Amino acid sequence: MNSNPENGDRLFELLAKQPEEAEPERAPSRLKAKLLTSLVQKQQESGPLRTLAETRANGYGLCVFEDLWERVTSAEGAQSFNCCSLCHARVLAEHWETAPIYWGHCPYAAFGKK
Amino acid sequence: MVRPGDEGERNAKSDYINQMSQGPQEAYEAQESSAGVNQLADQDLVAEVLRKDRKATAEFVARCADHVYAYVRRRLIPRTDLVDDLVQEVFLAAWENLDKFRGDSPLRSWLLGIARHKVEDHYRKRLRELPFRDEGEDSSEEPASSLDLEETLAKRQAGQRTREILKMLPEKYALILLWRYWEKRSLRDIAVQIGRTEKSVERLLARARQQFKKRWNEQQS
Repeated sequence: MNSNPENGDRLFELLAKQPEEAEPERAPSRLKAKLLTSLVQKQQESGPLRTLAETRANGYGLCVFEDLWERVTSAEGAQSFNCCSLCHARVLAEHWETAPIYWGHCPYAAFGKK
Repeated sequence: MVRPGDEGERNAKSDYINQMSQGPQEAYEAQESSAGVNQLADQDLVAEVLRKDRKATAEFVARCADHVYAYVRRRLIPRTDLVDDLVQEVFLAAWENLDKFRGDSPLRSWLLGIARHKVEDHYRKRLRELPFRDEGEDSSEEPASSLDLEETLAKRQAGQRTREILKMLPEKYALILLWRYWEKRSLRDIAVQIGRTEKSVERLLARARQQFKKRWNEQQS
């Protein structure tokens, strides 16, 4: 190892150029769940979410609870309601890496899928 | 929209019953794969997120979180306990600025740009907080005791070992090395950011290099 600082610099510059791990580390699904929750909360601060009907029309599937909610409500305000805020699936996903959520179209369940 | 009594509803019900007869996990997999989960282009996805579509927002998280997380985790060594909070800050800042995304670069790269700023804020804050032995210390580097580092570099096997040593180093040494060499910031820049003289940053960096090399050689022996 050379005592010349410039050579020291060169060595560390080479170290920094070493390839990163081939596979990027996956973010824990708990973190993804928390990210989604905080983003949706932020979105709600500036007005209602897109309605469930619009979301469905946009090609996204609704989960069993959203589907039910969409069928039984008609007012636009109600249609923008964030069902996940009351859903136990969200709570489970924010605390467990592989939460036992088995119904489809739940984004929290999708985060836990490897 | 599917309404009670619609043919669409009957089909949906029959799909659901078929899927449930497969068992919950299989039903879940089948539903997800038949969902036609949108693979939107970045700009289209951003437009949907800006319209506050909750499912698009979930897709945004799913698409970008792994990359942001991996980047932040590597740069926060050894303070991996702070990674989750910083990643969260990145995504919230992204939401605040999402209307400025023009699609000139991939969405992930745009987010990594935000992550880079957040990481730099962290370096600046921590290096200002940590005790900083400044004057009258011998910061000359260790004489060459081994050519192992160069040899390993030549074989391109250094990545994993570098990460391990950075994790073991005191936080201020890991931070200064990462900031200087991985983030490619000049001594002058770092000095200005943390309110120190260039000379004192140089001394800290020299000590950090020395400690790094010492541990490298110790690991080898």
